[in-house]
Amino acid sequence: MSHSTTTTWDGGGLPFGVSWQKLMMWLFIVGDAILFASFLAGYGFLRLANPNWPDSGQIFHMSLIGTMTFVLISSSATMAAAVGASRAGQREKATRLVWLTALGGAIFLGMQAYEWSTFIHAGARLSTNPWGVPLFSSCFFVITGFHGTHVASGVLILALTAWRNSTGKASAEGVELAGLYWHFVDLVWVFIFTFFYLV
Amino acid sequence: MNHSRTYWLTWLALLGLTLVMILIGSAPLPKSAMLVLILCGMTVKAGLISANFMHLRFERLSLVATVVASTVFVVVFLYFLIAIDGQWVQLSTVR
Repeated sequence: MSHSTTTTWDGGGLPFGVSWQKLMMWLFIVGDAILFASFLAGYGFLRLANPNWPDSGQIFHMSLIGTMTFVLISSSATMAAAVGASRAGQREKATRLVWLTALGGAIFLGMQAYEWSTFIHAGARLSTNPWGVPLFSSCFFVITGFHGTHVASGVLILALTAWRNSTGKASAEGVELAGLYWHFVDLVWVFIFTFFYLV
Repeated sequence: MNHSRTYWLTWLALLGLTLVMILIGSAPLPKSAMLVLILCGMTVKAGLISANFMHLRFERLSLVATVVASTVFVVVFLYFLIAIDGQWVQLSTVR
């Protein structure tokens, strides 16, 4: 396969079996995953260290959170379908599906904005909240805020990808890399949903 | 190469698991049983997303090992080094 005389691990081939672009995306995702893991570990520490941590079931509206999760998971599915269509050379179908994914992300952001404004109207701030331990709202705003920022940048990336794909500039791999990032945002939400809202 | 069937099945599985996890969260179960079930559901969901949506099951072992092993190592490390320590802080401050 390789024209080089050196072996794979000497730089003669593709040690990871993927292009460098895809490898870099994966390494970025690992780094970003560790960022969120650190946030959640810090949150776990603070929650375990405070005996009167507020009961999340009393504060969060699970119907809203469930709908947000539903929308994000569905947008991940349309993205997977977009990558499949893009690989199969169905450019127009892929563009439509990427737009649909971006729409899902925008709806998620809208619902999160609603959740945040409800919280802020109830008197929650970064350093204080009406439910007790001040660190509760600090964790809430920082963790969901960082995730929301990832969703927002993801929507931007998806919109750019859809536009570039419609004009024929984006390669199938370009769509796939945007997809990897989008699935990662969904993956992070699985953990935030579990540890912040359910448990 | 058409994986669209896998995608829609994965989508359904993820939605089903989410629903079950929400139901378990509000069910009258002992806290420990609830925790185990919910964490299992979470792990399965994470596995489905990374394997099927992120195509990790079609990648070479070197990439899978690099990505999964390093992340899992850091997560376990952070949990035992930081998160779980909160319990000891609580025990030592309550008294």
